[in-house]
Amino acid sequence: MTLRVLLVEDDRDLRATLREALQVEGHDVVTAASLSEGLALLSHGAVDFVLLDLGLPDGDGEALLASLRRHRNWPVLVISARDAVEHKIRLLDAGADDYLSKPFSVAELLARMRVALRHRGTSLAPAVTRYRRHDIEVDLAARRVLRDGAAVHLTPTEFDLLAALVRQAGQVVTHRRLLAAVWGVEHVEHTHYLRLYMAQLRAKLERDATDPRLLLTEPGVGYRLAADDDALH
Amino acid sequence: MSAAPGAVEHPRTALGLGLVVWGLGWAAMLWLDGRLDLANLALAFVLTSVLSAIWWPAWLSIPVTVGAALAFNWSFVPPRGTLAIDLHHHALLLGSMIGVSAVVASLMARLRRHAAALRTAVERSEQLRQWGETLRDASDPIVHLGGLRDAVASLTQRPVTVLALKAAMPEQEDPRAAVLVGEVSGDMRAALWHCMRQGEAMGPGTHRHRELPAWYLPMQGRDSCRGAVAIGDVYEDDTTLRLQAQALCNQMGVALERLQTARDAAAAHERAHTHEVRNALLASIAHDHRTPLATIVGAASSLLQQAGRLAPEQRERLARTIVDEATRLSRMTDNTLQLARLDAPGVQLRCDWESAEEIVGTALQRARQRSPQRPLRARLEPELPLLWCDAILLSQLLDNLIDNALKFSSDDAPVELLVRRLDSCIMLAVRDRGPGIAPSWQERVFEVFQRGADHGDAQATAQVVQSRPGVGVGLAVCRAIARVHGGELRLRARGHGGCSFECLLPLKEAPPHPLERQPRPESVP
Repeated sequence: MTLRVLLVEDDRDLRATLREALQVEGHDVVTAASLSEGLALLSHGAVDFVLLDLGLPDGDGEALLASLRRHRNWPVLVISARDAVEHKIRLLDAGADDYLSKPFSVAELLARMRVALRHRGTSLAPAVTRYRRHDIEVDLAARRVLRDGAAVHLTPTEFDLLAALVRQAGQVVTHRRLLAAVWGVEHVEHTHYLRLYMAQLRAKLERDATDPRLLLTEPGVGYRLAADDDALH
Repeated sequence: MSAAPGAVEHPRTALGLGLVVWGLGWAAMLWLDGRLDLANLALAFVLTSVLSAIWWPAWLSIPVTVGAALAFNWSFVPPRGTLAIDLHHHALLLGSMIGVSAVVASLMARLRRHAAALRTAVERSEQLRQWGETLRDASDPIVHLGGLRDAVASLTQRPVTVLALKAAMPEQEDPRAAVLVGEVSGDMRAALWHCMRQGEAMGPGTHRHRELPAWYLPMQGRDSCRGAVAIGDVYEDDTTLRLQAQALCNQMGVALERLQTARDAAAAHERAHTHEVRNALLASIAHDHRTPLATIVGAASSLLQQAGRLAPEQRERLARTIVDEATRLSRMTDNTLQLARLDAPGVQLRCDWESAEEIVGTALQRARQRSPQRPLRARLEPELPLLWCDAILLSQLLDNLIDNALKFSSDDAPVELLVRRLDSCIMLAVRDRGPGIAPSWQERVFEVFQRGADHGDAQATAQVVQSRPGVGVGLAVCRAIARVHGGELRLRARGHGGCSFECLLPLKEAPPHPLERQPRPESVP
């Protein structure tokens, strides 16, 4: 599948490296070295995917994200040298699909792009309601969770939490989003609810709760359900 | 002092009492006249005079006695009704009467003066003692400047102005550098600053500027002068008063100096510490970062120049080396930056309720990605309480400890993560079966490696650095992370070889447990 990718990155070497890596994968890459250039390219034509660096010479990539989110539903993957957690959370809450902290490997970049495309790629595709990885199967519409083919009983809260993660499988979901989705916006500060219910979910779904392979923690940011088996191919 | 006669009476009462004594004495003499001879009357006179001297000052008592003696002569000494004296021994009697009375009166007066002086001395030493206590209890004596002003004003009964330095002595007169309490004119302000700079008293009775109509007393500490006090309307010296005021000022000077010394010491300590950390970080960058860079440059240049002659496997191996070393370099940079950040004053943590299980799980996962072949396992006690901590920092701590354990144990030796609740804290331990660490190095492994910091032990340092590459910053960051959480990181040797790095974190009271709620229909797709 050939994608038209917009890469906004001010560092020349990194821009060239990423462009070549993406072209090798068969994608069509347009590059911008500044915020204004990126905005201009966006206004000219449709793209399938946006790779956005944040520290740009003429402004913050956050501005581009905001303007993009007002009109379009194109997937946006943020790449940033900034390691500040607050910043990552703000971007995810502002509508970025995922983030990658520099330095990252090309393999990581491609995997995150695949996951983001699966969720946003074609806006006509139905929302994700099924999930399968190794021995676990989830069907949200039927409210069914199977482990090795046997039904797993989840409490309503556990199910809602799992559902929120399944809808964004492979992507990080911030604490605030999870809390708002499951307990309501008045509970967005109560991170300890998540700790307790994630522990319960792990006990029911993971082979070894102390070494999770499915319900992954992104320290300080949120949780990520490991990408669906289908998303990896 | 209540033992001193007449010490407590008001002057008017004392005058009245003296008059009453004379009245009674004279009446007694009149009554005794004719019943006793003249010598006995004279004794009654002396008694009366002495009694009156108890209350009367000498300047009153002596003239009154002389006058009374003349009246005695007129009334009782023959020939009566005249001031003439018939017999020599009568003259002697009169003379003795006056002499004894005068001597007693002046002795009484001296006694009274001594008592008053003693009382003043006691009051003043009490004032000094109380003032000393006030200053000793004060965390910042400068807030008691008003108290000093009141104390000196009540001592001298004169207008008082106080000037004290807030911090170090400025190069030039600078109103922002000092606190001023009281009314002040331009000249007075300049004189106060001058007195403070010179550290010498000025004004009447001192060695400097005796012509001034005021005393300027420095607040003298042991080594420096921290302020000055101006006492107005002083036209002549009163040495004891001035010395007393000086003593009050000096107490303030010592207190201010003590505070300044403590501040200077803290600032110097802070500076030395910052300097030390900066040196350590620079040394770490210079030493630790060069090694992976050298490897990267070597591998990359080989790929660039010899690509045509290299087998595909060789090319792949070189490329992998570049990725691995660059990743290592990136982690070192993270550690170095984190150490600098944690060491800065006022470091901000992003604490939240975190689960030890999750943090350990993440650390395990990351370690597996880096070293897929190594045996790693975690053992967590069930029902662990939540931790109030910064998850990013704690993950970094575990990453570093696991890296360290993997680095120093053989490929098949297991590395174990252990989480256990101890009394009021949680212990996160990373344990290996490596060669262990010599007892003399058990504390030093937490120090950031500093080249040339320890000449005597340079060889040992070199050995450790060689055998533990990159150890410098990693463990120092771990300890800094444990400490900013109010915890500690310690190293323990294990029973059958290897070591255990144990991070102890204090527990906080857990938040309330959420209730299981009913399903919300709208949340089901």
